[in-house]
Amino acid sequence: MFINWALQEINLKIVYYGPGMSGKTTNLEYIHSKLDDSLKGDLVSLKTKEDRTIFFDFMQIEVGRIKGKKPKFNLYTVPGQVYYASSRKVILNGVDGIVFVADSQPHRMEANVETLLDLEKNLKQDNQSLEDFPWVIQYNKRDLPGVESIDELQKRLNFFGVPHFEGVAVRGDGVFATLKSVINTVVEHVQKEL
Amino acid sequence: MVKTKKMKDGSRQVILNGKQYDLITKILSELANKTKASAILFADMSGQLISQRGNTDDMNTTVLSALAASDFAATSEMAKLVGEEAKFKLLFHEGDKRNVYLSNVGDDFFLVVVFDVSVTLGLIRIYTKKAIEDLDKTLSEEADEGDEEEQKLDSDFSSLLGDALDDSFK
Repeated sequence: MFINWALQEINLKIVYYGPGMSGKTTNLEYIHSKLDDSLKGDLVSLKTKEDRTIFFDFMQIEVGRIKGKKPKFNLYTVPGQVYYASSRKVILNGVDGIVFVADSQPHRMEANVETLLDLEKNLKQDNQSLEDFPWVIQYNKRDLPGVESIDELQKRLNFFGVPHFEGVAVRGDGVFATLKSVINTVVEHVQKEL
Repeated sequence: MVKTKKMKDGSRQVILNGKQYDLITKILSELANKTKASAILFADMSGQLISQRGNTDDMNTTVLSALAASDFAATSEMAKLVGEEAKFKLLFHEGDKRNVYLSNVGDDFFLVVVFDVSVTLGLIRIYTKKAIEDLDKTLSEEADEGDEEEQKLDSDFSSLLGDALDDSFK
């Protein structure tokens, strides 16, 4: 978090985390496509030739002044593939809130669990933990046939009982609800700490 | 000093007051004047832009800061791989028309200087080094806590923010 009281600006960093191909970039692309130009910056994507995120995607959103303060949200995604572990770690630097985008397909359950453990490991290195960190879960790809039940996903992934959302990011379902929830969770957390 | 506190949950907060912001901006202005750099950015290692000077109208400095921070992050991983124990202190990108000089300011901040190839690197180096010393000093000076009053978020801030978000997401 970076606060500049001279300009009354509050900058918060939100990172979309999750296994490869779970829809993190799709979340950002949808947000970018729907927001008014005055509220968003460019969406920057560092991708491979195959359209996979190699380092991160980034965009900034603003909502104007609220009680004289100007909150700005910097949204990042991390690359999901296992071998980009160190890129994931560096993008978490200074993070204020996390959206964990899980893939609802049964064969991706292990990848979800593994990535969540990787996230906890990275947070631990900064003396943080998912237990008391502001984060939410999005169970994405709910439109696909044969997806895992929400109960099962909750049992395997949401062991701290954080807010969770069902998503179909390609259609935009659940995308804004998820973003709004993580922003709220972060702001409440910040209020407590200021 | 600039409040860079580690919170109990481990997250990091950087809080600048008006006076510190003015001092930082003054240092950047001086650097811009002396070097004729096209643009100068001061940002924190998580990629948040703090202040900028120079001709930045045609430049997306928010994105530039985010990319520069990851540049630092990537090269510090590179440093480990090649057996350099400290982080690399400065990064230099050379172009046909413009160069970019990046240098860290303490552990938590960095400076980006964008300049035309007609400006010599030596000049940039000398004045940037001076600016970094000044910034270091400003960042470590005691701040008066006089205007603490305004430095919090009202209790209805969350709900107003929620409404604003709903409006934006129509």
